[in-house]
Amino acid sequence: MIEFQNASYSYIKGNGVNNLNVKIDEGEFAFLIGPTGSGKTTLMRLIYFDLIPDAGMVIVGKYSSSTITTRKIPGARRGVGMVFQDYKLLGDRNLFENTALPLHALGFPGKEIVDRVEEALDLVGLETKSEHLPMELSGGEQQRACLARAIVKEPDILLADEPTGNLDPVASFELVRLLETINEMGTTILMASHNYNLIKGRGRRILEIKNGTLRGS
Amino acid sequence: MDKIHYLISEGFKNIWRHKMTAFTAVFSLFLALFFVGLMATAGENTHKILQYLRAKYKIEVFFDQDVANEKALGLIHQIKKINGVRTVTLIEKEDAMRIFKDQFGEDILEILGYNPLPVSAVINLVRASKFPVKADPIVNKIKTMKGVAEVRYQGSLIRKIERTYYRILGKLPVIAGIVVLVAVLVIYNTVKLSVYSRRQLILTLEMIGATRTFIKMPFIFEGFFIAILSSSIAFPALVGTIETGNYILANFTSWGIRLSFDPVIWIWLFVLSATITILGSYRAIAGILK
Repeated sequence: MIEFQNASYSYIKGNGVNNLNVKIDEGEFAFLIGPTGSGKTTLMRLIYFDLIPDAGMVIVGKYSSSTITTRKIPGARRGVGMVFQDYKLLGDRNLFENTALPLHALGFPGKEIVDRVEEALDLVGLETKSEHLPMELSGGEQQRACLARAIVKEPDILLADEPTGNLDPVASFELVRLLETINEMGTTILMASHNYNLIKGRGRRILEIKNGTLRGS
Repeated sequence: MDKIHYLISEGFKNIWRHKMTAFTAVFSLFLALFFVGLMATAGENTHKILQYLRAKYKIEVFFDQDVANEKALGLIHQIKKINGVRTVTLIEKEDAMRIFKDQFGEDILEILGYNPLPVSAVINLVRASKFPVKADPIVNKIKTMKGVAEVRYQGSLIRKIERTYYRILGKLPVIAGIVVLVAVLVIYNTVKLSVYSRRQLILTLEMIGATRTFIKMPFIFEGFFIAILSSSIAFPALVGTIETGNYILANFTSWGIRLSFDPVIWIWLFVLSATITILGSYRAIAGILK
């Protein structure tokens, strides 16, 4: 599903990732752990083709970084859902509109959009808050809203970049449980975190990244 | 169909969601269009002012004492043929005497016992010429005619008016060009700022897999609506300003000038604002998208 083949990327000011070789299988739930600045976000950005490796290759489903063009990137991203530490919800739209956004972008018909959004909000436990604006929600709720927006299009892959970074331990735990539920439905998940206590003992593969290099899995 | 409906409705909703930004954009566009419209209207009406001034141009020709009315009519016929002459009015000896009495309150016939005033003529020059009206060649031609005693005219004043008008006319395209350029820059930058203030939306849409067209279309529709809105406000404001000007001209001056306004200007204003807002939105988004 996701494969890094000797993939490297460096920013103008340094850092980035070096010679990554890893494969994440379809339906797998893997954690990516490492300190701040270790390259977790860079690795994630390489998966959704926000960055293209300087060397090597990243393969995501049927798309490869070596052949992908700017025009094909939206297509590649349609199969990938993303959850961010800072939520990236649009403050001028309510929860329903935020969640429906990917479906509008994909051209779903109106009736199906309503059904899917209700289903996604129901899954993350926000079905009663669909009319609320993001600022009217708690941090945990905003992160779950972000998750609803990521899963509403039923992506093959879900990337969660430090999704618990701004949450308290209880909300963090609930979010990981939610991700596990989504994984059970067949979605491949890669979650980046620097909180080892949150992910240990879950029986999932943990990829450790340090100074841009994968140390082990 | 759902997608197109969504993109158009998003264009509308964006105006409502970002009322202050939209208001700033509409207001800036309105001001820019208003000044461009005023400039266009001024350009369209300058010839009326010139025509008004040209109507005041007058050449007075006094014939010799021995030239009777009949002979004067023959001379007038010749004068009428001169290029640049619009009308020639004969003032017979009796008319001259009446005018004298009207102006000075004295009957010259009673004072002197005879009428010493010569037959004369008043010449009006063409008003609507596209080229500068030159009185000197006309005057010189008249002076060479046998039976003409004296020619009086406002030579330097006519030269000054004609020179000033054609100087203004020559600079008008430059001034109009500057006004349009400033308007274009104001509109373009307003649109760019408006788009940039919603950078987060564009980046989020990009990340969720929206195509470039899908990201750009609501902004382009929004720009289009703003263009309609601002030109729709600019048009009545222009008409109102011109009508106010006409009211002042009609009630407080005797110039007899009525400013006209070509409704086609509205179409031009709309085309100008729509082109710049759409182009501005398109380029601003392209700058944000990777």
